[in-house]
Amino acid sequence: MPARPYGEATEAYRIPKLIRLAPNLYGVCFTLMKMIPARHILRRAEADGLLEPETVVVETTSGTFGLALAMQTAQAGRRLILVSDPAVDERLLRRLTDLGAVVERVAAKAAVGGYQAARLTRLAEIRRELPSTFCPEQYSNPDNPRSYALVAELLVEALGQVDCVVGPVGSGGSLCGTTRFLRSVLPDCHAIGVDSHDSVLFGHPDGPRALRGLGNSLMPPNLDHTVLDSVHWCTADEAFLATRQLHQRHALFMGPTSGAAYLSARWWAREHPDALTVVLLPDEGYRYLDTVYDDAWLAAEGHVRAELPDAPTPVADATVPGTVWSAFDWGRRTYADAVAGVGLAVR
Amino acid sequence: MTQGRRGPGAPRVGIGTAHGHHGELVQGAFSRPGGALVRALLTLPHRGIGSRVVFHPEPGAALVLPGPGYEKVGRAVELTLRALFDEPPGGRVEVTGDVPRGVGMGSSTSDVTAAIRAVADSRGAPLPDDEVARLAALAEGACDSIMVADRVVLFAQREGAVVETLAPRLPPMVVVGCDTDPGVSVDTLAHEQPRYGSTELATFGVLRSALRRSLTTGDVGLLGRAASASARINQRFLPKQPLDFLLALAEEEGACGVQVAHSGTVAGVIFDPARPDTAHGVYRAVDRIGAAGLPVTSVLGESLVRDVPVGA
Ligand SMILES: Cc1ncc(COP(=O)(O)O)c(C=O)c1O
Repeated sequence: MPARPYGEATEAYRIPKLIRLAPNLYGVCFTLMKMIPARHILRRAEADGLLEPETVVVETTSGTFGLALAMQTAQAGRRLILVSDPAVDERLLRRLTDLGAVVERVAAKAAVGGYQAARLTRLAEIRRELPSTFCPEQYSNPDNPRSYALVAELLVEALGQVDCVVGPVGSGGSLCGTTRFLRSVLPDCHAIGVDSHDSVLFGHPDGPRALRGLGNSLMPPNLDHTVLDSVHWCTADEAFLATRQLHQRHALFMGPTSGAAYLSARWWAREHPDALTVVLLPDEGYRYLDTVYDDAWLAAEGHVRAELPDAPTPVADATVPGTVWSAFDWGRRTYADAVAGVGLAVR
Repeated sequence: MTQGRRGPGAPRVGIGTAHGHHGELVQGAFSRPGGALVRALLTLPHRGIGSRVVFHPEPGAALVLPGPGYEKVGRAVELTLRALFDEPPGGRVEVTGDVPRGVGMGSSTSDVTAAIRAVADSRGAPLPDDEVARLAALAEGACDSIMVADRVVLFAQREGAVVETLAPRLPPMVVVGCDTDPGVSVDTLAHEQPRYGSTELATFGVLRSALRRSLTTGDVGLLGRAASASARINQRFLPKQPLDFLLALAEEEGACGVQVAHSGTVAGVIFDPARPDTAHGVYRAVDRIGAAGLPVTSVLGESLVRDVPVGA
């Protein structure tokens, strides 16, 4: 990194810290990973003349992408409307409103696609009501994955060789973008996507999920399935315990999607001692102090467990949700081929 | 150095030399810290070929060039005399050299650079590299970085300016060079500048990181893959018909990658002399490239591997 002052907070927030977790495992530790696509998309829109002074930025999110957008719009003095679930967490809500964002909560789930579909419907209404809006569309905007060239740049310059990238998957932007750009010079780099059971991303039917921030009830166009070599699903309990271990053993205070990715990455790195693995750790732990970091909450919610499996359970069918951390050989296949169980190249 | 410029000695015969190159390791557009894009390249120097210019100054006389086709050399002499000594050009220019023309091996820049150095030498006032680069870009419209002799640079060819110093030197490499389209010549300035897309521009950022890393650590493998990536991206703009053949050959013969002349027809297969089977791979590459009907132009760093025949 150049030793120069940052021009604004959002520029600094994009930059992760690379931290060694084992001799062959590095964490890519973000304060707020979503700043990378949020900042890139808004700056690009600005440069392309899509943002008039009165243009309102609108997006459906109750998570970290909304926070990253709110930080950008606060700096730019621009209006932002976020459409979220009723269940948006109070700490985040206070922060968003302090940044000037208007947060609208939808009342009920849609019949198909759950809250996310309901949010999209409400978003469309808002856009019809306003004269000028811009929606970053993190789930489909190709600038989301493209913005992660930055992470590939940092990894290539700092490490030179990366044999495996592990990351949680929500929109797919971070893992697919980072991996694709890494492969421009490291074509053999292995990619492991980490999902929650009962998420539709890699073939499970949609269902209730206690582990948030990864997984999805709708299929995001930004998820390029052909990037992935393997897919892991984990349970909330496992992700939460791994999150705590990441904190207890490495003093890394991260959110539960980081824990989920760390669980898979730690295993892969142990299994491949001669390979260099990096794991994307997307956000910090503050939002989860009253949940993942609270033993009483974990007990009350039934998320207590004593230890983690040594390895994921291999599964042969991507479409059947399980009850433990499991792994599927995706083999850079399309969604259709992988869920049908065909087209796995012999390697 | 600046002292010598203002009070030059009496004009005398000046001699200047410059070497050629073998295309680029990487060429593209890169964002500067503020976000502005700059077109830039990393030249693969070829020190075995070059130009030599002798300048016989005759103040007040006309400028006599070796013949037609040396307009850029004439411009370089004129620019240098005017810039340094506020003088109109006068004298005779002799150019000799063995850099093949129109294939992307830097014949024009080596002539121009040698000419600028010859004029400076005629006044006993050697010029710093960055000044030579600026004058060469002015004389030519664009130039490569062969005049920057003491370091490896990412170089803005249109401005004639260093964008970034990457390393003191290139790592040891063996490059089997060939002409991908024998008999065809490319006019560097006539062909349109590539219009890169967003993903390509983002990829150049990663390639720059790969250059920084590989040149700092001497990682020829990573450098070679960056070169291949650049060659693939630029294939849209000045295609090399046998690129896929060369990329496959590189893979099969244990090479690190393929570099091309982004404004010419030469290309090269990059080998790491530190790998155990390199001598054999180089030998096979020379053979297979020849068998494919492509003339092998040179084997750079050939002395790094033993028992390898010199290219035709
Ligand atoms: C905390 C956290 N982790 C991981 C992800 C998944 O990242 P991506 O959307 O790039 O797949 C998200 C996405 O919202 C997130 O908020």
